[in-house]
Amino acid sequence: MDEFQEILQDFLVESFELIEQLDQDLVELEAKPEDLELLNGIFRVAHTVKGASSFLNFDVLTHLTHHMEDVLNKARHGQLLITPDVMDVILESIDLMKTLLGVIRDTSSDSGVDVSACVVRLDRMSGGDGEIQQPSLKIAEPVAIKVEEAEPDYESMDADEIEAEIERLLNQRQAEDQAKRKSKMAAGESVPAIPSQPEEEPYFQEPEPIYTPVVVPAPVVHTPRHANSFADEDAQAAAPAKKAAAATTVEQTIRVDVKRLDHLMNLIGELVLAKNRLIKINDDVEERYEGEEFLEELNQVVSIVSLVTTDLQIAVMKTRMLPIGKVFNKFPRMIRDLTRELNKKMELEISGEETELDKSIVEEIGDPLVHIIRNSCDHGIEKPADRIARGKPETGTITLKAYNEGNAIVIQIDDDGKGLDPEMLKHKCLEKGLITEKEADGMSDKEAFALIFRPGFSTAATVTNVSGRGVGMDVVKTNIEKLNGIIDIESEVNVGTSLKLKIPLTLAIIQALLVGVQEEHYAIPLASVLETVRISKDEIYTVENRSVMRLRNDVLSLVHIGDIFEVERIMDASEHAYVVVLGLGASKLGLIVDSLVGQEEIVIKTLGDFLRDIDGIAGATIRGDGGVTLIVDVVALMQMAKGVKSKVMTESVSVAQIAREKTKASDYKIMIVDDSKTDRMIMRKALEGLGVTLVEASDGQEALNLLKQGDHNFDAMLIDIEMPRMDGYSLATEIKKYNKYKNLPLIAVTSRTGKSDRMRGVESGMVEYITKPYSADYLSSVVQRNVNFKSELL
Amino acid sequence: MSERLKQIINKQSQQQNMTTQHSESIVQLVGFIIGEEEYAVPILSIQEIIKPIPWTRVPQTPPYIIGVFNLRGSVIPLIDLRTKFGLRPKKHNEDTRFFVLKQGNDVAGFVIDRLTMAIRIKKSDIGPAPDTVAGDDSMIDGVGKQEDRILTILKVNKLLERDF
Repeated sequence: MDEFQEILQDFLVESFELIEQLDQDLVELEAKPEDLELLNGIFRVAHTVKGASSFLNFDVLTHLTHHMEDVLNKARHGQLLITPDVMDVILESIDLMKTLLGVIRDTSSDSGVDVSACVVRLDRMSGGDGEIQQPSLKIAEPVAIKVEEAEPDYESMDADEIEAEIERLLNQRQAEDQAKRKSKMAAGESVPAIPSQPEEEPYFQEPEPIYTPVVVPAPVVHTPRHANSFADEDAQAAAPAKKAAAATTVEQTIRVDVKRLDHLMNLIGELVLAKNRLIKINDDVEERYEGEEFLEELNQVVSIVSLVTTDLQIAVMKTRMLPIGKVFNKFPRMIRDLTRELNKKMELEISGEETELDKSIVEEIGDPLVHIIRNSCDHGIEKPADRIARGKPETGTITLKAYNEGNAIVIQIDDDGKGLDPEMLKHKCLEKGLITEKEADGMSDKEAFALIFRPGFSTAATVTNVSGRGVGMDVVKTNIEKLNGIIDIESEVNVGTSLKLKIPLTLAIIQALLVGVQEEHYAIPLASVLETVRISKDEIYTVENRSVMRLRNDVLSLVHIGDIFEVERIMDASEHAYVVVLGLGASKLGLIVDSLVGQEEIVIKTLGDFLRDIDGIAGATIRGDGGVTLIVDVVALMQMAKGVKSKVMTESVSVAQIAREKTKASDYKIMIVDDSKTDRMIMRKALEGLGVTLVEASDGQEALNLLKQGDHNFDAMLIDIEMPRMDGYSLATEIKKYNKYKNLPLIAVTSRTGKSDRMRGVESGMVEYITKPYSADYLSSVVQRNVNFKSELL
Repeated sequence: MSERLKQIINKQSQQQNMTTQHSESIVQLVGFIIGEEEYAVPILSIQEIIKPIPWTRVPQTPPYIIGVFNLRGSVIPLIDLRTKFGLRPKKHNEDTRFFVLKQGNDVAGFVIDRLTMAIRIKKSDIGPAPDTVAGDDSMIDGVGKQEDRILTILKVNKLLERDF
């Protein structure tokens, strides 16, 4: 049973792959009914499926494919012309085949689907039963006999197919050998360039034997016959040719479970995080041990690790890549169906189908594209009569192309239809109450085009089953945005519409801009960031209770990231602010942040089930220091921004400072940070006389934790430089990262007396530098000066 | 030799049976303090217990969700049980621990004031939750009595359930 399941799985995978190709081929076939190559290909698919399904006892499927095969075989032998009517039946039967395969996948049996109607129609096409095919049997009698000899069990109904196949291959081989001989004579050297092409035929045949042992004899019969029928030198020439061909055609691929790739991708994600961390540590070490010899070595190792990690990441990403052609393939068929359904004349031009995208994106992109193309067909392309009246070619063209652009892939859908009329769109939306009169007046054409993505919008006067149910385009938009993609729409009345979907290559690892607000950091996907600007506060205006700024010729509405994410704003001391300009399709928003941290490659992690669907948060990532940084969901953020009232930059004069009014000496709090207990004691003794409150910490890490806990409002800190875990410089740098400690006096107390040490102290934010040994009075006076100690409290 | 081996194996399996028989009536819990009360959860639901590490606040969440933290590469929500139980938040001190509970795919960290001990308690010593707080919505699984103390046993699935 297990074995059967395994075979069944293989069968299904192969069949679905074959069918995917089939749709494309069939539509092409309709355009070029004479193309024997195509017909053969299609025939082979039907044949393969039939063989395998009979082996697996799927009678209904066998029955259907058998009749399809009959029709196709006739066409192949020129006894039947492929007309649109014939094609309709063939396409219908292929749809049925798909349904059947779907049923088999779900239930492991093919019952429950009625194929009789379709079979009757197929029979009508082929003109009764197999009798007319008799002549073809006679053409290559000897081969047929051989087949029968080799495999007596072989069902007679398949014999003619096999023999026709063999005969065709033989003819091909003959032609090929003739060509070879010719080229040999011409060049005097046997370089078999031509054979490699026809050699593909046996390769295509290859999959069949797996499911239909009956076909196995075919190549076997074929080879000896071939060897006998030509001169020895030819046989010798053919042998290496065959070897060479085998080398090129043996499939150099293995099937891998997607789960394994996903796992691999997760591991790479971890590696990228570790790499980021390594780089950060390297930077720290570099700063601390400047000029040391081992640094260079460390540097080299770090850069190699980071290089290899990046390459590895790209390599694994590539294994997950699929050509977008996999999605595009189904559209020619769709256009063909729509052409007949809508009574319009349309052509689809596809380019760039080899462009590769991550598998998960390829899977997601299909439905939105179907919607868009249906829309183009239904609403874009006009009826033939209208087109002629407007002086356009009768046949409308829809172009579908994909190409790479930086770290993203662009899928562009153009049609030469009637285009979008911004006035009409606005009018429609007003009618439906989707926008207000005021909004409509202030809208640019581009914003008006974007109206088609509003939920509840549908411009088709009549509801067809193709589109126009009013759910299409907003679903497209949400789906594309789910992929972190951007939609851009351009249109001109009577000329056409162009939709551009810009989608990141992969979902798992993205480039992000890290921004800071107070003590928190957030990551914004770089794909949505248009630019960043530094502005001063007086460049911000308030219009209708909303903050705006002028960006070149545009007015940009602003929102503070802190208002959206409820960040407690302790101090806004800075005169300047950074604005990250976010763009999503046609809409733009300026996001005010306190600082720009930089660009980083981040790995997206989910917040898990417990914290799913948090407004404005798309996920989290782990940073180089091991901390967690949240990733902003730009789409949601733009929505949320609409509800945020203007509070931007309102002077929230720090309440904290007022609270710090001192009434007695013990209100002053000083932290002593030193790893030596003796040194702490000395400082304590020196300051005890003032009556101030003293808190001790034995290293930088502990001091930072004390500070973060916020139990005490410190007025100054005395910091030793040489300390385990975190030294004084790092501590000062860390402290100065926090807005609320910008003005906290940090006093270095150290035995390091070098000038460069002093410089580093200043750089890291220390205001005073006391060298050991010092007098108790000196320390006390420095502290008093820095905390503005009120002398009357003494 | 093989005789002996057999004996040993037999003995071992007997012992195993013994312990399983024995533990049928025994429940193993880990006790912890929040505020004034002692609570407990089944020992097998605990993935690990760690000392407090830095976390990141998550906006748009109820106050008892204090954020997320990084546990060896996974991002895990952190819930303050004091706030959740209606107590005033307290600064973390050196007794504070993060309790990482796991059930199926759900994992979350819980801030507790203090660990007490691993507890073996007879099933018969566990009574139902008081009628006033019993039911499916209650977080209380039962009340364990041991010597002079009372343990409130919590439902892990309720703790890990999103309720906002």
